[in-house]
Amino acid sequence: MAESASIVNLRRYRLIRNAVFVWLTLVVLGAFLLRIPRIHILEHTARNLYFHVPMWFTLMAAALVSAYHSLRYLQSGDPIRDLRAREAARVGIVFGLLGLATGIVWARFTWYLGTSLWWNFDPKQSFVVIQLLIYGAYFVLRSAVEDPEKRGRVAAVYNLFAFVTMPFLLYVLPRQMESLHPGAEGNPAFSDITHPIMRLVFYPAVLGFIGLFWVLYTQRVRLALLERRLEMRKATMLEAKS
Amino acid sequence: MKLQALTDTTGIATPYDTLWATAAVPTKPPQGIERVMLAEDKLYVVLAVVLIIWFGLILFIFRTDRKLNRLERTLQERLPEANTELSS
Repeated sequence: MAESASIVNLRRYRLIRNAVFVWLTLVVLGAFLLRIPRIHILEHTARNLYFHVPMWFTLMAAALVSAYHSLRYLQSGDPIRDLRAREAARVGIVFGLLGLATGIVWARFTWYLGTSLWWNFDPKQSFVVIQLLIYGAYFVLRSAVEDPEKRGRVAAVYNLFAFVTMPFLLYVLPRQMESLHPGAEGNPAFSDITHPIMRLVFYPAVLGFIGLFWVLYTQRVRLALLERRLEMRKATMLEAKS
Repeated sequence: MKLQALTDTTGIATPYDTLWATAAVPTKPPQGIERVMLAEDKLYVVLAVVLIIWFGLILFIFRTDRKLNRLERTLQERLPEANTELSS
C-alpha cells in the first residue's frame, strides 16, 4: 500500500471524486432544466453541446497529461511516468470514442435527417477517427516490445508524435474544409448565437468531464501500481527461491 | 412534431446551415426511428447522447473492475501470505 499511497494522494483523490460526482449531477440538471433559445434544425439537440463537445476537450486534456508523462519518462526513466502516460491515453481513448458515437447520433437526427445517413465523411469526424487510430497504435506498439525499458522509451517517443498530430488533425485540417462543425469556412468556433445561458452550463460541463477523466485515470493508475508491485514481489520471491 | 419548422427555410439562420440550406428538406413524415427521435422537439436525441456516455463509462468501469478481480485472484493464489496484509 505504501508505494501507491505515496504516489497517489488518496485524500485528494477522494475529495475530487466526490466533488466531480456532485458537480456533474448539477451539470446534467442544468443541461436539461434550463431553457435555451429555439434554433432551427437543432431544436433541443442544441443541448448536446453540453455532452458531445466536452468529450473532445477531455480527449485533449487526456492527451496532454499523457504526453507530459511521456516527456518526463524520457527525462527521468521513471517507470511510474510510463505507467501514467499509458493510463491517461487509455482513458482518453474512451472519451474520444464516446465523442465520436455521440456525434454520429447527433448528426443523424439533425443535419442528416431524411437521408438515412449515419456517416457522411464530415472532415472533423474522419480526422478524429484517424487520431483515435493513431492512439490505438500506441497500445499495439506497447504490446509489441518485450523489454520494459525499451518499450517505455519507444512508446514515449511515439506518444509525443501522436500528441503533436492532434492540433493538425482536430483543428487545422477540418477548418480548411466544408464541415458541419463550427470553425469551418471561417465561422467562429463559438458563435454569437450561443446564448449566455448555454455557456453557463457548457464551461462547467467541460470542467466536470475533465474531472471525471481525472478520477477514472487515477483509479487506473492505482490499479497499475498494484499490478507493478505484485510483479516486483514475484520477482524478488523467485530470486529468493533460487 | 416540428415538420413545419423543418420545411421553413426562411426561418432564423443557424450557424451550420451554409451547407444544408440548399440540401433537400424531407417533406414526407418521418418513419421508424426518426419518428421516435424527432418527438418532443428532438429531446430524445439528447437522451440518446447522454445514455451513450453513461453506458460507455459504465463499460469502462466494469473493465477496470474485472482487472481488479483478476489481480485479487492472482494475489490470493500466488502470494497467500499477502492476504493477511490485504485484509487488515
